[in-house]
Amino acid sequence: MSCSSVEDIPEQCKDLFTQDGVLLKASIGRSISDLNSIGMLCIVQNSDGTKCIEWRPNDLITIDSDTQDQEWAVVNTIGRRQRTLSGNMTSDYAAARARIIRIPLDELKTFKCSRNNQQMQFSTKQGVWQNTFYFQHGNAEIFVAYLKNHVKTAKTRHDRNTYVVVEPNIESQVLNRSFAELDIFTENTTDVVWNLVSNFKQRPYETTLEAFSKLTDIVYYGNEGMNGKRDVSEEVAELLTKSMSALEDTTTVTRTDEYEVINVKPTLPPRPCIPRGTPLSTEKWEGLQDPEGRVTEIDGVRQLIFRGGVAHSIRNSVWKYLLDYHPWRMTDAEIKILQKRKTEEYFSMKLQWRSMTDGQESRFSEYRDRKSLVEKDVNRTDRTHPFFAGDNNPNLMVLQDILMTYVMYNFDLGYVQGMSDILAPLLLLLGNEVDTFWCFVGFMEKIASNFDMDQAGMKQQLVNLQQLLTFASPELAKHLASKDSGNMYFCFRWLLVWFKREFSHRDIMRLWEVLWTGLPCANFHLFICVAILDSEKDVLISKDYGFTEILKHVNDLSMCLDVDRILSTAEGIYHQIISAPHLSDQIRIILGIPTVGSRPEPEPEPEPQTSQTNGNVETDPGQTDMEEVTLEYNGLQISIVTKTVWALLA
Amino acid sequence: MAKTYDYLFKLLLIGDSGVGKTSILFRFSEDAFNISFISTIGIDFKIRTIDLDGKKVKLQIWDTAGQERFRTITTAYYRGSMGIMLVYDVTNEKSFENIKNWIRNIEENASADVEKMILGNKCDLDAKRQVSKERGEQLAVEYQIKFVETSAKDSLNVEFAFYTLARDIKAKMEKKQEASNPPGGRTGAHQLRANEQQRKPTSWLSRCSVL
Ligand SMILES: Nc1nc2c(ncn2[C@@H]2O[C@H](COP(=O)(O)OP(=O)(O)O)[C@@H](O)[C@H]2O)c(=O)[nH]1
Ligand SMILES: [Mg+2]
Repeated sequence: MSCSSVEDIPEQCKDLFTQDGVLLKASIGRSISDLNSIGMLCIVQNSDGTKCIEWRPNDLITIDSDTQDQEWAVVNTIGRRQRTLSGNMTSDYAAARARIIRIPLDELKTFKCSRNNQQMQFSTKQGVWQNTFYFQHGNAEIFVAYLKNHVKTAKTRHDRNTYVVVEPNIESQVLNRSFAELDIFTENTTDVVWNLVSNFKQRPYETTLEAFSKLTDIVYYGNEGMNGKRDVSEEVAELLTKSMSALEDTTTVTRTDEYEVINVKPTLPPRPCIPRGTPLSTEKWEGLQDPEGRVTEIDGVRQLIFRGGVAHSIRNSVWKYLLDYHPWRMTDAEIKILQKRKTEEYFSMKLQWRSMTDGQESRFSEYRDRKSLVEKDVNRTDRTHPFFAGDNNPNLMVLQDILMTYVMYNFDLGYVQGMSDILAPLLLLLGNEVDTFWCFVGFMEKIASNFDMDQAGMKQQLVNLQQLLTFASPELAKHLASKDSGNMYFCFRWLLVWFKREFSHRDIMRLWEVLWTGLPCANFHLFICVAILDSEKDVLISKDYGFTEILKHVNDLSMCLDVDRILSTAEGIYHQIISAPHLSDQIRIILGIPTVGSRPEPEPEPEPQTSQTNGNVETDPGQTDMEEVTLEYNGLQISIVTKTVWALLA
Repeated sequence: MAKTYDYLFKLLLIGDSGVGKTSILFRFSEDAFNISFISTIGIDFKIRTIDLDGKKVKLQIWDTAGQERFRTITTAYYRGSMGIMLVYDVTNEKSFENIKNWIRNIEENASADVEKMILGNKCDLDAKRQVSKERGEQLAVEYQIKFVETSAKDSLNVEFAFYTLARDIKAKMEKKQEASNPPGGRTGAHQLRANEQQRKPTSWLSRCSVL
């Protein structure tokens, strides 16, 4: 048995989904002082692959995030030493920890979402609701949507808000089945597989490690002893591929000097289908401001906007916050003062170029070039929209004035093509020249790197997009690469002007306001690209589109896209990726989440991993792309890739 | 499947922003002109099949965004092009001066023997003219490139320009074919079957570009 080495593998316990603003309303066996405290409700995956719902009070969260050791995670006690709390933990922390509520998903029997999505109740025993939570933002339906991706449910007949959990452990069953279907191996080796299947239920973690060690063993040592020249590695690769076929995996077998690495690239968890919400309404927006006009629940506002956008009637007001023109925490009175100051600043910059004489202009070629570019583009911007149509349309003059003033505001950047596209919907909505200018400044702040002289920002995004697509839709990424389109240049227009050319004005306003929230992660706009491409995947692959056809097809999608469907798909893909067990540092960086290579620290280190001497490299997760674990089997040292194991346990 | 064309040529339109590249392409592919045309972002192409000395020639014409900083991306699409239209605006001195830069750009990014042509566009705007026809002709002589003044608006010389460029490419191609084939060989030896071309247009193009 090789159980001892299992202890060396770091515990992994992670949040698959978290939702803030959740109050504990009632909980059986809890002291009254815990009730009504605010916290977050999460779906957590334990180190052993089991999942639970977890509620954490907010005052715990700060402690929680810097101790990522997850020592307290509930572990599967079968076949494994029960872990104890580590000694250096303070009693405060232990006390706070005791307030966490955990509901293992395989114990969950029923749950209910009621009171207009404000309340959720959970039960692990028939007839009693053990825990009741109140959702401040009235968005419990989102939690339900995510939860349903992890448990199979049926609705009860008498109450459509109550869900009964039918099959808790569906994934391991899928895996069992796929292994059971195998029959490639000779008698001897089939036993290994069958043992694996039968042991898997009781001891999933060790069984998997063990099984892989044996498979590895066969790959590497099987050749010599038994079958002479037969290339078993191919068979094993095939076996693994087939075994994971239900999960659509790809497998590569690479040979190194000492051992064989079977690298199963696991697929993502199933894609959740997340419904879009209703737009932030006037009532809600007003309710989120205090009597003096400060926005009190900034995160809540962002969440709501991310989920459903903003009602058209209040966009004019909300956009100014989203685009960092109006600070959320300012009172109405302070905003008035700010607006006055910003108005003066705008007009003084406008005066700078307005007062330039023809003579000055003739000797100022850089200025002249920018001006002529602006003029040309203003005349070619959204002219089919009634707001900008017709000769001598005064709104074109406003576009021109704002862009020229922006040239004075940021002369180094000046005017770059695409800016007029960014500006037009803002002016259309806001109407007012000064407001539009400052909101434009805010938007440009978010996407300034798109317009770099060296285009480094665009290139980086295209690279990131390619990496994300490879992770989310490897088949499509492979097809594109085989058609000379791996550089993703055909997505250039999407990224440069944030899909402005792909949607109507109505839809682009929705898409932009959602993206401005910065939720649910950095670079969510790349997920929009992935979502669009993923929905075209079948066409692109089945028709075997080449270099030119790919570009044409993508260009022709303009005005044929459904913004809500794409947002929903993009969010689904986001959740697939974020909960993927094999999330690489490359992807983590794109998402703006901590990498596993550098341990999460409160202060970011200036030079990570350079002069660090880490004695325990082999078990330190994520230092390299492949995480290897060394196991002993029949006296032989065998290394396998832990990612594989996580994938199987996911 | 019916044979739809004998040749496929990849052409490219380049020049400063606003000189009328998209308008010229629109005129040629749709025979229309739109004064308030949308500016080009990134890259796109249009197709038109023309008849040239009894042969069907399918022109795949690529339109690019003009601003300098986007060139790193757009030049990726230069590869494999067989003909390039260099466009300037006769009412804009700067766009004319920049033709030299564009030629240098081609030399760095397109195959050496690509056919070229210079177009002085917007010649309908005589009152605003900054570049005389003579200066255009002089430049063309200097670089030994064909030249014509065009107007996308009035549909002047646009057809002529594309036909001329296509004919030059065809002639060059046939000459090279003859050189590599023994004389007296089958006349249609260089032709590809239409179906074949449609299935693999890119690989065919890349072969042509090194002809
Ligand atoms: N008068 C006139 N205007 C033209 C002509 N060609 C283009 N334009 C105008 O010049 C502007 C820029 O044209 P466009 O085709 O977008 O230029 P591109 O940036 O090179 O693609 C547009 O407003 C066109 O309407 C022409 O032949 N005559
Ligand atoms: Mg254009």
